[in-house]
Amino acid sequence: MIVGASLRALFRRRGRTSLALAGIAVSAALLLDMTMLASGLTASFGELLGSRGYALRATPKGILPFDSDATIRDADGVAARMAAVPGVTRVARVLGAQMWRMDARGAAEPLFTVGIDRTAQFLYTLTAGADPGAGEVLVSEPMARTDGLRVGDRVRLATGMDASLGRARDLRDYRVSGIGDFVYNYAGQRSLAMELGEVRRLTGRPNEASLMAVAGAPGVSDDSLARRITAAVPAVSTYSTRELMGEMDKRLLYFRQMATILGSIAVVVTALLVSTIVTIGVRERFGEIATLRAVGVARRRILAGIVAEGVALATIGCALGLPLGLWMAGRLDTILRAFPGLPARLSFFAWDAGRVSLAMGTVALIGALAGCIPGWGAVRSPLGQALREEAE
Amino acid sequence: MTRVIDARGVAKDYPYGGEAVHALRGVDLGVDAGEWISIVGPSGCGKSSLLNLLAGIDAPSSGTVELLGRPLHALREAERSRLRLREVGFVFQRFHLLAVLTAQENVELPMSEAGIGRAERRGRARELLEFVGLGHRVKHRPPHLSGGEQQRVAIARALANRPRVLFADEPTGELDRRTGEEILALFQRVNAEGTTMVMVTHDPGVAARAERTVEMADGLVVRDSGAKGGS
Ligand SMILES: Nc1ncnc2c1ncn2[C@@H]1O[C@H](COP(=O)(O)OP(=O)(O)OP(=O)(O)O)[C@@H](O)[C@H]1O
Ligand SMILES: [Mg+2]
Repeated sequence: MIVGASLRALFRRRGRTSLALAGIAVSAALLLDMTMLASGLTASFGELLGSRGYALRATPKGILPFDSDATIRDADGVAARMAAVPGVTRVARVLGAQMWRMDARGAAEPLFTVGIDRTAQFLYTLTAGADPGAGEVLVSEPMARTDGLRVGDRVRLATGMDASLGRARDLRDYRVSGIGDFVYNYAGQRSLAMELGEVRRLTGRPNEASLMAVAGAPGVSDDSLARRITAAVPAVSTYSTRELMGEMDKRLLYFRQMATILGSIAVVVTALLVSTIVTIGVRERFGEIATLRAVGVARRRILAGIVAEGVALATIGCALGLPLGLWMAGRLDTILRAFPGLPARLSFFAWDAGRVSLAMGTVALIGALAGCIPGWGAVRSPLGQALREEAE
Repeated sequence: MTRVIDARGVAKDYPYGGEAVHALRGVDLGVDAGEWISIVGPSGCGKSSLLNLLAGIDAPSSGTVELLGRPLHALREAERSRLRLREVGFVFQRFHLLAVLTAQENVELPMSEAGIGRAERRGRARELLEFVGLGHRVKHRPPHLSGGEQQRVAIARALANRPRVLFADEPTGELDRRTGEEILALFQRVNAEGTTMVMVTHDPGVAARAERTVEMADGLVVRDSGAKGGS
């Protein structure tokens, strides 16, 4: 009855309570977004890494994927030895290179090109046509769209530029074999894929790879597979998705610190809002509270009523803040993903049920604590004095 | 006769700006079961202070109070609180009902706190509101009731757990003479049913309704019309 009366008193003060709820909802939304941001990029990166079924990456010794121009020597031998490791099902080799596309007026556009093994590739999904074969090239979706390229069309590519003359070397026509959606491309990126052998020949690196990806059999743990490969093929560094995510996490420390600071501010703001509203309510009902105590209602019962007000404010504020936070996360994500150079598929915000419920639970707890402080003051004040002040 | 209240050498000092205000300076008072006493005296003589000490709301600076045979100074706050809930009733000058609860719910509240089941406390709350003449107003909330009606709800609430003693501090202080009379008539009926009554007032006309008058001045009892009690 006491708790019910407290809550009724809270919701009878409609205007004030609604304003406080709006404030709590906004800060809960901010907290939710910061929670989702703290883990979002890493989680999304992890998803991208595994998106085509290749959980491991092998790179030149001691170098992270695409961190430098270094390549793996004797790539085919390395790939064969990896494939022989128990638990490995596929090994994909990639060689990155720069090509130039020549337009009708002779202007050159540099294009990042990957040489891939058409039987094992993890960089794109086909959206039209087929994987590139000899004399063929696959173009990224944005490139096909803006240039109006279709399967069967021809494009003229150069493998190098003569810097002193500003002229293309080694011009050649390629047939467009297909169009692909590249997993790691940034938004609107124009890029190409060709047969691995072709790129090797054009760049004069007959048996090299920039990067390899390894797929394991179902049920084989990534980490143990990475260890086994490292043991069998010490010439390369092998990373599991988890290790790469850890690496990403380190690089995103800045992001997480920002999220932590903003999230803490949201928690503090919530606490202040809840305790302000509860304090005002308790002040107003000071006489009622003193009377209840005089009548013999136990202090902890009165306190429970006041704490219930704080918890109600916090949880209802959270419930309102949840959809707001999700909407805000969507908007912010769109803005952040437009960052140049970042894979377009990467998402900055990830819904992590555990972390989100922890954050929302924290807010509810903060509400309870914020209710405790004014409540404690009200039920501890000397009763005789409280009754007298009220009668004045 | 059973002794309901036994106060001996009760003094109360309030610290005030480094000095002490001696509100009570050694009061002895005994009240027997079924008595109705009124405590009178000029403003500031210590009436409210004494009432709060007798009812276990406040603790004396020195001296002892026994209420219903229990030494209040030896009880913990939770025990005093339970004693007030179950054995004592209170009526204040300002009625202090919970504004969000109906008249009926206000009366039910002390019973609910005492663990009485819903059906029983509903029935009793209605009975009590009938008794104070508010049977037709059970669903009204205090802001929609007059001062006299609110004071009657407060009396019904004070009687909810069948107290053995009823304390009242200026119960008619905020009411006009006629409404005050009605409240006093109610007290008379409560007292007639065996409840001991201790009432503070500064109005001699109101005090005259009690069978015994204790007069105070300057923190001391200066006259007691039924001076059989005390020390
Ligand atoms: N908390 C307090 N701090 C300081 N002085 C106090 C306090 N409470 C009461 N007093 C003083 O103690 C004295 C007695 O106060 P009390 O309220 O008991 O008088 P009263 O007889 O009830 O007066 P009234 O008829 O005006 O209600 C007064 O002088 C008052 O100023
Ligand atoms: Mg007084």
